[in-house]
Amino acid sequence: MKNDIRGRREARGWSQAELATRAGVSRQTINAIETGRYDPSLPLAFTLAAIFERSIEDLFEPTP
Amino acid sequence: MQSNVPQFLRRCFLSTLVYVVTVWCVVWLLKHPLLDADTSVRAVVALLPMLPITYVVRLLLQHVMSGDEMQQRIDLEAIAVAGIVVSLGTLTLSLLMIAGVFHTTGRQAMAWVFPALWIAYGFARAWAARRYQ
Repeated sequence: MKNDIRGRREARGWSQAELATRAGVSRQTINAIETGRYDPSLPLAFTLAAIFERSIEDLFEPTP
Repeated sequence: MQSNVPQFLRRCFLSTLVYVVTVWCVVWLLKHPLLDADTSVRAVVALLPMLPITYVVRLLLQHVMSGDEMQQRIDLEAIAVAGIVVSLGTLTLSLLMIAGVFHTTGRQAMAWVFPALWIAYGFARAWAARRYQ
């Protein structure tokens, strides 16, 4: 999946570590999600969507 | 949530090292000073290596349970790879033993299975973690 987590995080001035703390995961997991190497579970995707006050569809889109 | 993988792996390797040293000491004790000791004493001494290895199991369970979903996936992949590697390794050695190419006793080989599993897990985890970096 493609996502815009990095852009939205940087727009808020958050570090990966700060977002990781808010989402309750490790910084490595945030980095892997941002780089597209790891697709989060549905609960984590919902958590990230809630953090950025967006829907999951706004944050993630499937790659063809 | 902070990743503490290096500390975890270091503790696992150290505990495995303690296990190996304990096994050597126990084997020496059972073959020499305690050769004619009471069976109950020999049994207690023989089970001493269970202490460090039980500590390793506790470390692994704590580590896996405290990890987030990606870390748990990495651990699962690492454990699977380590299990496959050690299984293939023991199968290879047993076939070589049958062919007379490699010689060891069954009890020596069994004592090395657990440390081999942890060592393989350490390498497999590093490999699996790299896939998500």
